[in-house]
Amino acid sequence: MSNLLNKRLARSLWRTKLRLVAVVMMVFVGVFAGITFGGYAYNLGGMYDTMQADEDGGSNLADLWIDNRSATWSPEKVNAFCDSLASTWASSTAPSFSLDSCEGRTVTQGAMFHTNDTGEHIINSFWHGIPADANADRVWMPEGHSEGRTAVADDEIVIDAHVTEALEIELGDTVNISAGNTSATFTVVGTGYHPLHVIMAPEGTLFPPEPGQYVVGYLSDTGMARLTGNAVGTSNTIVLDVEGTPSYDLPDTQEYEGEEIDAVKQLVDISLESTELDARVRDRGQNEPVEVMRQDLEGAKKMTVPFTVMIASIASITIVLSLQRLVQSQSKEIAVLRTLGVERSSLMTGYLLAPLAIGGLGCALGALAGPSGMNGMLDFYQDLVGVPIVERSVPSSVYLAVIGSTMFVVFLSGAFPAWKASRLDPLEVLSGQNEMRVGSNLLRKLTSWMPTTLGLSIRSSVRKPIRLTMTFVAVGISLMLFGSIQMMSAGLQETMVGGLENDQSWDAQVYIMPDGEQPVIDWAENNSANYEMLIEMQLGSVADADDIERTFTVVGLDSFQSGMRAVSLLDGNTPTGNMAITQVVMEEGCMNFLGWNVGEQQTVHINGAPYDVEIVGTATAELARTMYFLRDDLSGILGVNATSIYLELPEGVEIDSALGEASAGVVERQTLLDGINSILDQQTQVFQTMMYLGLLFTVVVMFNTMIMNVAERDFELATLRVLGASTRSLGLMLLFESLLIGIIGGIVGVLFAYGGAVGLAASFSSWQFFFPVTIVPSVAWQLMSGVIIIAVAMTPFGVWRLRRMDLVEKVKDLSN
Amino acid sequence: MNKLLQMENIERHYETPAGVVKALDGVSFEISEGERVILLGPSGSGKTTLLNCLSALDSPTGGDYTFLDNEVPRNHSEKMTSFRRENIGYVFQFFNLLQDLSVVENILLIQELAGKKDPFRAKELLKLVGLEAEIDRFPGEISGGQQQRVAIARSIAKRPTLLLGDELTGNLDTETSNKVMEVLVSACQQENITAVFVTHDEGLVKYATRVIRIDSGKIISDEKIDNSDEEA
Repeated sequence: MSNLLNKRLARSLWRTKLRLVAVVMMVFVGVFAGITFGGYAYNLGGMYDTMQADEDGGSNLADLWIDNRSATWSPEKVNAFCDSLASTWASSTAPSFSLDSCEGRTVTQGAMFHTNDTGEHIINSFWHGIPADANADRVWMPEGHSEGRTAVADDEIVIDAHVTEALEIELGDTVNISAGNTSATFTVVGTGYHPLHVIMAPEGTLFPPEPGQYVVGYLSDTGMARLTGNAVGTSNTIVLDVEGTPSYDLPDTQEYEGEEIDAVKQLVDISLESTELDARVRDRGQNEPVEVMRQDLEGAKKMTVPFTVMIASIASITIVLSLQRLVQSQSKEIAVLRTLGVERSSLMTGYLLAPLAIGGLGCALGALAGPSGMNGMLDFYQDLVGVPIVERSVPSSVYLAVIGSTMFVVFLSGAFPAWKASRLDPLEVLSGQNEMRVGSNLLRKLTSWMPTTLGLSIRSSVRKPIRLTMTFVAVGISLMLFGSIQMMSAGLQETMVGGLENDQSWDAQVYIMPDGEQPVIDWAENNSANYEMLIEMQLGSVADADDIERTFTVVGLDSFQSGMRAVSLLDGNTPTGNMAITQVVMEEGCMNFLGWNVGEQQTVHINGAPYDVEIVGTATAELARTMYFLRDDLSGILGVNATSIYLELPEGVEIDSALGEASAGVVERQTLLDGINSILDQQTQVFQTMMYLGLLFTVVVMFNTMIMNVAERDFELATLRVLGASTRSLGLMLLFESLLIGIIGGIVGVLFAYGGAVGLAASFSSWQFFFPVTIVPSVAWQLMSGVIIIAVAMTPFGVWRLRRMDLVEKVKDLSN
Repeated sequence: MNKLLQMENIERHYETPAGVVKALDGVSFEISEGERVILLGPSGSGKTTLLNCLSALDSPTGGDYTFLDNEVPRNHSEKMTSFRRENIGYVFQFFNLLQDLSVVENILLIQELAGKKDPFRAKELLKLVGLEAEIDRFPGEISGGQQQRVAIARSIAKRPTLLLGDELTGNLDTETSNKVMEVLVSACQQENITAVFVTHDEGLVKYATRVIRIDSGKIISDEKIDNSDEEA
């Protein structure tokens, strides 16, 4: 008997094919998205593990970096430090890990002089001097994705594989490079990757310039000595590798996880003091390129859950609404079956099985297509960062988690209609009492002044408040997918590009070695270029409310408003120089995370030493956590006149090799802007996929609601048709209803989108990344008008249904 | 009395897998203004099909149908709707009042759709059917008989020329049926409306001026009835 009942239900469902397909598609998209995101996150994690592994094929990412970019240490100094550390370590019981290696090396900014069809170009660069027998932070050269070998001789170089294609560099080519005031020629012996340069962004920025606008190269230690003119073994960085991986603090969490590495840091501090080395010490969580990529991976993982849940919620609301409508349309049939003695449990089984069957089909399709989605995203990521993702697979745990949770949600969404079907009272249904209801007096009073057709439209729209609410929730969630990303992107775009594009006027930023400003100033004066010196170093740190040390960039400017880098103030004032307590402006992300206010005095560490500062203003439009000083004040603290010089180039003047040789690297603002825009465009592509997914859901949800509204109103629409109402007048009623639902849906959508954007921003924001959320009016209008257009576009379907309504059949129904 | 409508050799045939079903098979008659005609016949006799053709809900497959000497549109949904809007009032067995509208609003809606909104007349009609006290109540709050009286008021609200009813007392007890029919007759007389009702209830014959009996798609009798005593 129950098989026949299930067959009956299946046939009934088949009659609503369109809605059935919509529900299957929703489940499909939910599972597809879950597997795509889940697999993506899993394989990205695998990529970092492979790259950073302490084995022959890996690069063995260091655990601690000890560096001082404004000084160099002789080989003896480095050896003394490493010996001291080894002995301190041996005599200490604190660290539970053993020291694997302590290696000195030089890393430096520089330039590459590259000539192609369009002439000679000075490309901002970064050079590593890595000993041939290095243990930590080696070049990663995966098979099939890199070429050649590491640099050994003093005239050999490995070029980062990110740029070889753009610069058309091949093995055996020679490249002319500089670091500071010296230059040399090297032969390319390999291409490879480095864990500190997964994203090819210059230090201090998160945005890689266009391919070929920033070069990283890996020399041997002897090669670096030849380039810099220093003795072999001279270093400005010491990399420490510990057996295993001690836990370090993750800046984006509230908990403090850094106890294990702190034990190591304490020993390092002792040795630094005993060997009189002045340096900053960073673990993986404090090393920005490593931390940025970890957070990017965490972001990818984080995205998996909310997006899948959102999609599954929309699917489940659609299933609930569809099954509820099905139960309602079948109430007479169910009542007859119940009268004939069919048990509640037999009826309920079918209504429970139906969503499982629908969900099963959607899951199967999603599971089949999911790996393609994952590969698409991994390919995109691979293109974005330029690092190969060699091993790809979807673990069964991802399949299980996604399909299991989706089926659970689907099952739950079928349970209520199933329960309702089994609880229908045959007597009530067959006597027509279940159709009878008393209208709302409140609504009648509210709409009595309107034309009756309008009043009817409004009352019909809100006739089923729960269903309407669920529809709006589904529309809201859909628009959360669509709008929150759009709002976040708009805020991000404003922060990233707004400041650089509108507030800054420099054409080129020329990096210099300490006290190396004069040759650049001479070049500027000879070429009639305006110049402005600035200090920009990532040397600030402060303990937050949880006593976790947060690092920030310190920037020293001559002028906050009339200079080449104007600071956009959110509130407060610009600093006054030479005050007893140094006045500074702090960027809004810092203020937000630290809970600071304008007017407060705070103690921060700059280059390791404590300083009291007075916060006189909050700056916006800056991605990096930054504290702004007047340059003279900061110069007094750091003992450095400038770290770079901004140039405003007159018409016809271009950067030439003379400037390149006088500098430690040159960045052009336009290149930076192009790079940021390019990465934002790429990010937007990923976002757009989700946005269109949200839009698609909005269409499906609205369509489903409209179908149900019209189908449910067959009775009254047929009555009105029989009584002579024209299709046009009924069409206008439907149009008004659509408009009403569209307007309310739009408002709900904007609210959900804003809430979603705030939630996403809060979830993605960390000390490194601060995402401000701004309601860009155009985005809100877009959302509103989008929903209204979708709702109104559904009206023709209702009119089409009205036109093909068989009035003779309807009159029969109305008379039975 | 002036001729209102004429049906000449009307056919309504349906193609089915089992062959052609002749729901109406050569039906001819005239109805004059002011008549109250009852179509009587057993189930499946074709009386509802005839009512559907009269109201232009359905299109005959053969024969001629003229209304006030004009051919009635067929096979064109909008023109048929327009014909109904301008000429026909309709009362359903199950009243079919819109549950979200109050009693008076149900009447106003039809007036509005016909472009003849007249709140004063709507109230007058409710008075005519004895429901002036229920004006702001919802259909769900009044009895079946009262609902059918609202349906009658609604059906004549736009001053139709012809009022049609399909088993309009089929869902009511005898006492209520009689009350409803009395209201209907009174309304038709006051508004000078011609009426055609389908029923299988012989007891309603007393409210008619003419009875047409139909069986197997053909008219088997057509007799005028003098109900002047009843009306008096």
